[in-house]
Amino acid sequence: MSEAILKTEKLFKTYEMGKRKVPALYDLNFQVNKGEFVAIMGPSGSGKTTLLNVLGCLDKPTSGKMILDEIDVTDLPERQLYKIRRDKIGFIFQTFNLLPYLNAAENVELPMEYGKRSRSERRKEARRLLDLVGLAGRGEHRPQRLSAGEQQRVAIARSLANDPAIILADEPTGNLDAQNKSEIVKLLGNLNIERGTTIVMVTHDGHVAMHSERVLLLKDGKITKEKQGLHLAKKKLACPYCGSKIQPTDERCPACRKKLVAAEEEESI
Amino acid sequence: MRALLVIIALGFSMAIMVSIPAGIVANQEAAQSVTANFNSTMTTMQEEINKTATLIECQTSRGVFPGGQLGFPPGGSQQQQTYVEESVANEIRSISGVKDVVEFITVSSSETTSETINGPGGRTFTILRPVYTITGVTLNSSFIDDYSILPTNITAGENLHEGDSGVVLLSSNLTDYFGVGVGDNVEMYGESFTVVGVYDAAGQGSISQSNMEERSAYMNITDVQTAAALTGNVSRLDVYAEDVSDVDSIAEVISAAYTSLQVTTYKDRLSQLDNMQTMYSETLTSAQATVSATETVATQEIMMAVVATSLIVLFVMLYTVRERTKEIGTLKAIGFSNWNVMSQFMLEGMLLSLIAGVVGIAIGTVGAPLLSGILLPQISPFGSRGNSQFQPGAANPGNFGNFGILGVSTVTVTVSLQTMLIAIGAAVLLGALGSLYPAWRAATTRPAEAMRYE
Repeated sequence: MSEAILKTEKLFKTYEMGKRKVPALYDLNFQVNKGEFVAIMGPSGSGKTTLLNVLGCLDKPTSGKMILDEIDVTDLPERQLYKIRRDKIGFIFQTFNLLPYLNAAENVELPMEYGKRSRSERRKEARRLLDLVGLAGRGEHRPQRLSAGEQQRVAIARSLANDPAIILADEPTGNLDAQNKSEIVKLLGNLNIERGTTIVMVTHDGHVAMHSERVLLLKDGKITKEKQGLHLAKKKLACPYCGSKIQPTDERCPACRKKLVAAEEEESI
Repeated sequence: MRALLVIIALGFSMAIMVSIPAGIVANQEAAQSVTANFNSTMTTMQEEINKTATLIECQTSRGVFPGGQLGFPPGGSQQQQTYVEESVANEIRSISGVKDVVEFITVSSSETTSETINGPGGRTFTILRPVYTITGVTLNSSFIDDYSILPTNITAGENLHEGDSGVVLLSSNLTDYFGVGVGDNVEMYGESFTVVGVYDAAGQGSISQSNMEERSAYMNITDVQTAAALTGNVSRLDVYAEDVSDVDSIAEVISAAYTSLQVTTYKDRLSQLDNMQTMYSETLTSAQATVSATETVATQEIMMAVVATSLIVLFVMLYTVRERTKEIGTLKAIGFSNWNVMSQFMLEGMLLSLIAGVVGIAIGTVGAPLLSGILLPQISPFGSRGNSQFQPGAANPGNFGNFGILGVSTVTVTVSLQTMLIAIGAAVLLGALGSLYPAWRAATTRPAEAMRYE
């Protein structure tokens, strides 16, 4: 089996609401391998965001253990955790969370601000990352002058800034229309293939989740199901049923679709 | 927009801090200049008294014009100028120990002119005074040389000489009044006199009171006596003793023999000087009390401004931190340390108050006189105008009766460069102080909670 980049053992997170204890995460044991694209899916209130916060070292688990890039981050104090967040993790948010008074390039540079790189190197890297997400030449634009999809691309570029071990995406398509949604998912898929970027994506959208390699279903803080994703990009645009070439937006080749339609018609009769 | 309002509010706070020290400095300088002015005047007067130690001044009761008492305009009980017989002068001359007796007569025109003068505390008075006063002098060349009985600051023509008759020496403002110059004729008391010279009216002679310039003319005493139909009369006798040691006995003899004469010696004049000194030191004490009261008030006001500035920064930054909670969460999520976040907000608070400091200095520099006028008790115990100088009377050396020496010009408040630099420093410091807590709040925000905040 390939190398684990993220591993949780008996992870619990309990919120205390007065006297009542509300479990948000319950005995989570899973692992994300290097170069994997994992989606965590579940209805609202299932603990998706709590899980992502714990994985992103923004919140501490109540108990259990978490290992990130071979470092046990469970009991690290804040004065070391920020370095983990800066160097090992890239965050993508549902609401993009770009700083409105900084332009696109400056937003991308932000995580590198207190790193080792010189100013010119940071600037060069930001430009390179903006090129990578398809925003070449838009570095001078302020977020309010960019479309929602473009803003999320800037956020993705920012998450890649310190070449992190893992990208954590919290509903990255939640605020986007259908067109942008598929483009962003495609972009994430391509990054996963071309750069080998490990991605953990939380979503409640089944279509979006199916673009990953592996989908974990979360319910009441527990992983209830695990299934294979389609990850069209990784399958090199091949039909998962017959292996013939398909369009990136399609789930199966025209022939297989016909078969599926015919089968459904038969069932309905 | 909000930033602008904050900067203006902070700016005013800073302006107070800038203008108050400037106001204090200005007040202190004013007090110092008054003291210096007074001291030099006192020295001059002392010298003058020493020079005229042998002089015994004998004066008939004179009209209130043109003198008036310190600080109070003439008016009310107007007295009539009285005269004594010239024979009195001869009798005094025969007293042993008397060296010389110089005769004077003073007459005033019946026409009056109204004049506005500045009194203490910024009040003004309108007074009536004669259009001109003529002083008749015994024109004896040895008197003129030894006793400086005539004005000295001749601006045109020449002074009176022994034996001059039918001529007049005018004060400069009377030449304006009559519209004449040297060589012209002027009619006084119904007779025509030729103007031989003009002297500067400002601060000359007995009327040294700051606001009243002389409207005087000098003539041969016999000319005046003839013109005013006062032949054989005099109004003042300057008696010179052979020696200072004789002064007291001579003065006693004169005052006993002639009750209509007011006799003053250098001792009286010295006591006058003492009175002035006493009065001045009382004034100075009250001024110093004002200065220290000013400093107390100023300290309190500066403290209030400091507290206000810090509080404004505190609340603004707290609001900013609250408003930008999500941004703080984002910054932490992408790897900003607590210190990184804290320094960001500290820097912002300091920048805010730095800009406010500059604005405040601008407001303070322009508005310092006004602001310190509102904020500080004013020092104005010295009354009247600034440039008044006591000039020992040349024509009437004994009379120190009126003095307007304690003038102080309006207090000018200027903000010094040093104050500005201190204010800038204080602004940055207060900005840091005020944003310390908000920045700390921002830094210690737990990122997971910050991210939930909308």
